[in-house]
Amino acid sequence: MKLIELIDAYKIYNEGFENEVRALNGVSLTIEKGEFVSIVGQSGSGKSTLMNILGCLDVPTYGEYFLNGQDVSVMTDAELSKIRSRDVGFIFQGFNLISTLTAYENVELALIYQGVRASQRHDRVMEALERVGLADRAKNRPSQLSGGQQQRVAIARALVTNPSVIMADEPTGALDSKTGQQILDLLKSLNDEGATVILITHNMDLACASHRIIRLSDGKIVEDYRLRGVTA
Amino acid sequence: MAGKSIAANKVRSFLTMLGIIIGVAAVIILVSLVQGQNKQWKEYYESLGTNRVNVSAYMWNGKDITEDLYEYCLRLDDLVLGVTPNGYYYGNIRYQSKSTDGNREYGTPSIALGSDLYSVCNNYELAMGRDISYLDVQNYNQVVVLGAKLKEYLFDYKNPIGEQISIGGHKFTVIGVYAAKGGTINPYIDYTAVVPYTMNRLLNKNNTFGDFTIKAKSSEATTEVITRVTGFLTGLIDPNYGYFYVYSDNSWMEREDEANRMMSLVLGGIAGISLLVGGIGIMNIMLVTVRERTREIGIRKAIGGSRRSILIQFLIEASVICGTGGILGILLGVLGTLVAGKLIFQLVLYPDVALSLGAVAFSVVLGIAFGMYPAVKASALQPVEALRAE
Repeated sequence: MKLIELIDAYKIYNEGFENEVRALNGVSLTIEKGEFVSIVGQSGSGKSTLMNILGCLDVPTYGEYFLNGQDVSVMTDAELSKIRSRDVGFIFQGFNLISTLTAYENVELALIYQGVRASQRHDRVMEALERVGLADRAKNRPSQLSGGQQQRVAIARALVTNPSVIMADEPTGALDSKTGQQILDLLKSLNDEGATVILITHNMDLACASHRIIRLSDGKIVEDYRLRGVTA
Repeated sequence: MAGKSIAANKVRSFLTMLGIIIGVAAVIILVSLVQGQNKQWKEYYESLGTNRVNVSAYMWNGKDITEDLYEYCLRLDDLVLGVTPNGYYYGNIRYQSKSTDGNREYGTPSIALGSDLYSVCNNYELAMGRDISYLDVQNYNQVVVLGAKLKEYLFDYKNPIGEQISIGGHKFTVIGVYAAKGGTINPYIDYTAVVPYTMNRLLNKNNTFGDFTIKAKSSEATTEVITRVTGFLTGLIDPNYGYFYVYSDNSWMEREDEANRMMSLVLGGIAGISLLVGGIGIMNIMLVTVRERTREIGIRKAIGGSRRSILIQFLIEASVICGTGGILGILLGVLGTLVAGKLIFQLVLYPDVALSLGAVAFSVVLGIAFGMYPAVKASALQPVEALRAE
């Protein structure tokens, strides 16, 4: 079943001016439910722009984008917020936790924005924290956690809403290789449990952990191949 | 959520509040004090009674016009109720071991040198004994009528009539006590005593008076009295040897009212400016906060926070800061008003309720308006741009 369908998408900055930049220059892409896809490319290749569009943080200048069959490219700001809260879980390189909130509250925030009732939030937050092995650090603030732990809180925040897709943007970029491997293993096991994971990285070793690699260069897909015979 | 971020930045939140606290408290205290002063003046004039005509005469040939003015006014008995010179003697009053120099609360009183009509002119009523008589004045009797507070201080519950007290070292016999009339507003009105004006020679070593009060029968009579007395004094006082003024309390009261209104406006304006500065402080802090928290806004948007929910969060933060500041401001303002009222006017002043609420409402509206503007800007950012902020 098609989860993501991007049809001939362009993202153009300063269109028509001398300093026009084509961050995406006609990208078409289909991702099935349950896939573990890596998007790789040099910096400036457009992979972050692609992630922002796939994650509904941004809309393409031209082209169509369907997520779960809904046309995202024509949505308003409020509708995009709703899609993000329901269908997308983000994991960032810099963790992006809110420093004034505890681990528990950071994870809970995603449920609050989704409109989950208070009585149901506690169990789901604790379940997510347990899934990443941090149930005992629920009351700690980000500053009291190590980088790997912070990233795991971020993963808990991403998966607590049961999103259709988890987008991970260089999730190991700020971590040492051992901790990075743990995070990668966590993403793999989430995928084994049925989650669709999209990993954005410039690190081919990481990308090789996934099932499919899409290489971007100058805003275009130059390679798209499967590593293992995975059928969606 | 909003509470969290306020609590997480205690110092900053408090400093922001401080602007509002000081602004609100300043408005309340300053305006209350002016109103207090106004009230005190009003009550003072009301306690003296209305329809009073004041005469000021300055003679540089040493001539005293007291007797002449007194005689003349008594002849206008269809217009005038009473007339008295206004002289004062400041000095210690002693009864046995009690002395006014030792009174910590009120100190040494001013003793009025008046005619037998002093009480009529100044709205005093006898509570016991008798008043000063015409003969007391004429015969240089060393007699005194005490105000209620002074009687209370010197004699407590004892009957003072017939007792000897010492005024500036001279023996006086207490012949009467006036009923209290000042209440709590102006206790000094009752912390006084009256002796015949001819005691001026004994107490002040002086024979002349320059200040007189005439009590007219009605406000129409007041105008007539001013005309008549002016005519009389023009004939009496040679312009080469002196000059005089005749004026009514009523006009003085109006001028006082006007001055108070001006003062209210000026001080209220100054306090209003400080409130405005407090509001600008809030905007400044909010602007910095939002800038600092643009990334947080980006995160919130990325994980599904809508523009509305983020705006509401900032709105609650701004309201809580301003509201708390406003309430603390009221507390400080009320406290300050009570303390300042006690220190300056010796009376219990309460701030105007409408004024206090108005000041708080103003500060909250200001804080929210100023606090929202940067939040509106930040929440309109694309989440990608907001996330890129460092």
